[in-house]
Amino acid sequence: MSGSRAATGGRIDRTSSIAFSFDGKTFHGYAGDTLASALLANGVSTLGRSFKYHRPRGLLAAGIDEPNALVTVLRGDVREPNVPATQIEIFDGLTVESQNRFPSLDLDVGAMNQIAGKLLSAGFYYKTFMGPVAGPLKGTRFWMFCERFIRRAAGLGRAGKTADTARYEKMNAFCDVLVVGGGPAGLMAAKAAAAGGGRVILADLDPEFGGALKWSSETIDGEPSRTFVDHTVSALEDAANVRLLPRTTVWGYYDGNTLAALERVGDHKRDAPKGEPRHRHWVIRAGRVVLATGAFERPIVFPGNDRPGIMLADAAARYAVEYGALPGRKIVVFANNDGAYVSAVALRQAGADIVAIIDVRRSVSDHARKLATRAGGELLLGHAVVDTPGGSRFAGAKVQPFDAAAGTLFGTARTIPGDCLAVSGGWSPAIHLASQAGAQARWDDRLQTFLPPDPGQSWSGAGAFLGRFSTAEAIADGIEAGGGSSDLPAVDDEAPDLAPAPVFEIRPAGGKGSKAFVDFQHDVTAEDVRLAHREGFVSVEHLKRYTTLGMATDQGRTSNVPGLAIMAGARGMAIPDVGTTRFRPPFSPVSIGALAAERFGDLKPHRLTPMHDWHVEEGATMVAAGLWHRPMIYGHPGETIEQAYVREAEAVRGSVGIVDVSTLGKIMVQGPDAAAFLDRVYTGMFSTLPVGKARYGLMLREDGFAFDDGTTWRLSETDFLMTTTTANAGKVMQHLEYLLDIAWPDLKVVLTSVTDQWAGAAIAGPDARKVLEACVTGTGVDDAALPFMGIVHGEIDGVPVMICRLSFSGELAYEVYCGAGHGQQVWDALLEAGKPFAMVPYGLEALGTLRIEKGHVTGSEIDGRTTARDLHLGWMLSRKKPFVGSAMMDREGLVADDRLQLVGLVALDNRPLKGGAHLVDHADRALRDSIGHVTSVCFSPAVGKYIALALVKGGKARHGTRAFISDPIRRRYGAVEIVSHHFFDPDGSRMHG
Amino acid sequence: MLIPCPYCGPRDVSEFTYQGDANRTRPDPLSTDREVWDGYVYDRLNTAGDHREYWQHSGGCRSHLLVVRSTLTHAIVSAGFARDAATKPKKTRRKAGARP
Amino acid sequence: MAEQVSPLGPAWMPGRHGRADGEAGVVLTETRPGSIVQAAAFPGSEKAIIAAIKKAAGLSLPDGAGGGIATDTKAAFGIAPGRFLVVDQSEGLADRLRAAIKPAEGAVTDLSHGRTAIRVSGPHAEWVLAKLFAIDLDPTAFPLGAGRATQHHDIQAHLHRTAPACFDLYVFRSLARSFWTMLCHAAEEVGYDVR
Repeated sequence: MSGSRAATGGRIDRTSSIAFSFDGKTFHGYAGDTLASALLANGVSTLGRSFKYHRPRGLLAAGIDEPNALVTVLRGDVREPNVPATQIEIFDGLTVESQNRFPSLDLDVGAMNQIAGKLLSAGFYYKTFMGPVAGPLKGTRFWMFCERFIRRAAGLGRAGKTADTARYEKMNAFCDVLVVGGGPAGLMAAKAAAAGGGRVILADLDPEFGGALKWSSETIDGEPSRTFVDHTVSALEDAANVRLLPRTTVWGYYDGNTLAALERVGDHKRDAPKGEPRHRHWVIRAGRVVLATGAFERPIVFPGNDRPGIMLADAAARYAVEYGALPGRKIVVFANNDGAYVSAVALRQAGADIVAIIDVRRSVSDHARKLATRAGGELLLGHAVVDTPGGSRFAGAKVQPFDAAAGTLFGTARTIPGDCLAVSGGWSPAIHLASQAGAQARWDDRLQTFLPPDPGQSWSGAGAFLGRFSTAEAIADGIEAGGGSSDLPAVDDEAPDLAPAPVFEIRPAGGKGSKAFVDFQHDVTAEDVRLAHREGFVSVEHLKRYTTLGMATDQGRTSNVPGLAIMAGARGMAIPDVGTTRFRPPFSPVSIGALAAERFGDLKPHRLTPMHDWHVEEGATMVAAGLWHRPMIYGHPGETIEQAYVREAEAVRGSVGIVDVSTLGKIMVQGPDAAAFLDRVYTGMFSTLPVGKARYGLMLREDGFAFDDGTTWRLSETDFLMTTTTANAGKVMQHLEYLLDIAWPDLKVVLTSVTDQWAGAAIAGPDARKVLEACVTGTGVDDAALPFMGIVHGEIDGVPVMICRLSFSGELAYEVYCGAGHGQQVWDALLEAGKPFAMVPYGLEALGTLRIEKGHVTGSEIDGRTTARDLHLGWMLSRKKPFVGSAMMDREGLVADDRLQLVGLVALDNRPLKGGAHLVDHADRALRDSIGHVTSVCFSPAVGKYIALALVKGGKARHGTRAFISDPIRRRYGAVEIVSHHFFDPDGSRMHG
Repeated sequence: MLIPCPYCGPRDVSEFTYQGDANRTRPDPLSTDREVWDGYVYDRLNTAGDHREYWQHSGGCRSHLLVVRSTLTHAIVSAGFARDAATKPKKTRRKAGARP
Repeated sequence: MAEQVSPLGPAWMPGRHGRADGEAGVVLTETRPGSIVQAAAFPGSEKAIIAAIKKAAGLSLPDGAGGGIATDTKAAFGIAPGRFLVVDQSEGLADRLRAAIKPAEGAVTDLSHGRTAIRVSGPHAEWVLAKLFAIDLDPTAFPLGAGRATQHHDIQAHLHRTAPACFDLYVFRSLARSFWTMLCHAAEEVGYDVR
């Protein structure tokens, strides 16, 4: 065991012991611990197995940059894989499993992948799984065959199969200033911005604000940095114009200063209070943004650099100081900059011994020397770690003299024993959000790192994010970025210079020694990067995709710069000339639940008609039509769908039926120019329509194709009620609004969606008039008072109604409209009046059957590719006036003889037809020469056969001929007869009767 | 992306519907010039840079806006009611959709 | 005349729900006004329509986009250029507006059945509505009396701030039950009372 709990210290509550389970074993930690710090304090050194080689891995970092210690959190049967142990706050009952190991962490049979290491080098998928050129495993089939085995052997955690029942929510927020990062820079920026009076949001991904001040030994204005943080945070908590968002990762920076953040509201709680979400997806629109996201320490690449117990220096100090968890008792430090010396002192003060500080530089600053003295131990300048002998945890560092300028080792090696190696290879500012929002990052030679680009949006940076690493600089930047000018709190300690020697990799001559890892999470080694280069992948974008360097959950936070440095070395170029990739959202993984938030399950919006509850009570099978829910059939016990709709349709033709048509799109077209407007948008004339009459109308698109149809009713000189198909209601509205706003802004017309204002019921069948006669008062409904396409106003059961006589079914039929809030009352009265005539309610299937029998078209036929003539609606194209589409509808291609035209089909094999099936001329089942396709199908009680509407080349010319269904996916073949689309009552005598 | 609706203020792009290229004028309805109509219905400039386009605030006041947006950066250069632009007298009449 | 049937149906469950401790974060009410009417001006006639609303409903609309006013029983606010939603707890407002507006100046559209009015009030009204709408609800951006047209996914809504912690929402009737269900879900966190 290497890690242990220090006797004192840390921001943990040692009076509050917490029990949690890791791989089935119970451990204890304290309130304030992360899973990582608690396991470290318990001496657990291996937290996971690596991605490809299954090497044992321990903690490298202490924050969101952790690449190794990914675990699966279990809540009941719900699994959340790939969570960094450093991001999990422990609570009583927390249950966690390690990943990518079988059967256990300590004994993992997959570790044999290490022996087969050559097979798994960069690009091994692409090289290995080309597949044989012939045989049963030809080409990609071989890949598919191998994949399931590889997926088991390599990879991260596995997802569960149990549905996640946790609640997720979205939250919209607006502020004048969003401060990202709650370290010294962010805290001061928030304080200054709040003092300015604006609305401020401060977000930090940790549970507590303070950033590095939480484990710094500095004093600010004479008080310990942690006390300074506490005072600052409580002042912000008291400010009414500040919203503090701890546990909140700002992960996306989008256009218009819109930022996305994930707040982990309940992950640290055993039980969520009622209604509280687990995660909250914040969408924040900020006037301006202060990026105070800090910086990440990066490792040095050397052979054997992934052994558990090897850790970033600042992380080691953080564990010791913030959590009182010592990563080792005998610590070796390996560095190329002064920062690690501060870490060494902190570790010493927390109770560990510093065995040695190994620095690649031949000489260091006086400040570093002073710190080295305070830390104790041997100071080995001009040396490097060249390997770490040992087994599953760090036991000592093999060191050798090193020429940093030439990058070469010389002299003899010796081994320095220890139980923890703290490494610092310099610092990389967390520029991810700035990169998302702006241009290319720029290289800083002194700091050997990429600094943020110039702002492309309204943001400013502060502190370590800008490469200004000291607390004093962070405080000054923060106040300035927050718009303040108060006196600067004084930082009493001298800050180290974090500019590193330009050493990224220690490479023994001849490439001897253990594997040297660049990307720990994806097991990408320095040799993989060089191999990629040798194979021609020289662009950073290609390098990333070929080696997977910098991919997956940690997005290369610790590996990007070392990887680029090695590629630059291989190409003999400077790092900035190799370039860097642009960061994309998300900065860190985001739960899908949070993104979906309220948009799934019961919370999906449905549109319900005023008679919805009646349909459901009546036993209707409801079907979704867009957002609408409509009755498909009102099935009787034991009936099939077909039996139900055939019964309903027969009742309509035999006596009378009633159907809910409230879903039809309805648009009020009002104003002195309403009639002129309709003349322009419909193919027919509407200015000649008398008040109290309706007319069937067809709209084309500008390109001359059919768009939508419906009836429009003239209610007064200036008021028209337009109906559209249910599916196209929104599109028609937008089409009309576009024309009115852009093409004809001079017309005095107002358009308003009134779909929901009216409940609609269609009464259809030979007895329809008798039903109305029994319940309508205040108006006659006989032929004289209410002729075909006439409109009357009256009352049913005391409720005002508007009745129009029109027919979709081909029967004598009326549409009865009333205010939606009275829909059920009128529906009930109509049902009562229909009782003597055995009136039946009918659903969408019967409605469809009736219209197919009549050859009426709907969206299946007006499919965006058909013209009015294709649908035999050429008679509706007025020649007296221009209208939308009139200039384009006569183009050669739109009037050609071989276009697909509407026909009827009768199945000759007495089996159901299916929409979408192709039609061919040949009886064999060869896939060739489609002459058209089936659009709408039903069993027709009137014809007594399975029939269909179809679009067929040549159309009418094929009436009376035979064709064949070719539907290989659904295995439906067979002969049909092509007939007229008017299957039933072609002269329309029934609806006029 | 935020679009500044002159009536509702800046709103998320999800409240808007793209309604096409605004570098075109609907031809005289009585025109039978096929080329003019083809240009109006089909020809688009595919600008790399500032682009005039219509957006309807379909999830708000439902006005059509004439927006000038950089197709390279998504920066909105200007946004106003399309109706205002459409009612202004046109000085020059370029063939719809033709290259400038 | 018969009273309108509420579109909320079984989704309307009076009483306290969600988080149970303390004061309810929000109170949710279906206000069921007798009249919800749109008055729309043709370009250039906006002033005439505002005057007509004053005459027919007794409400003086302030100038400016989204400007509005509310009394205990009546309300009016701008929803689009030249368009206003005028609401009255009593029926008959549409006829009064029609009488006050000349056909050449504008159009009156009765939406009394087509829109459902839902009131969200209480200390957490802004918090709950911020879950559903991407508009700035802070009083500095959305002052008392003002109206806003926005949407929650497919659900278009008009919001009217009728008191510092009270919003009246108007949604399409067919979507009202779904919207109400979402609203209740969003309010569980702070606790809500349905009245």
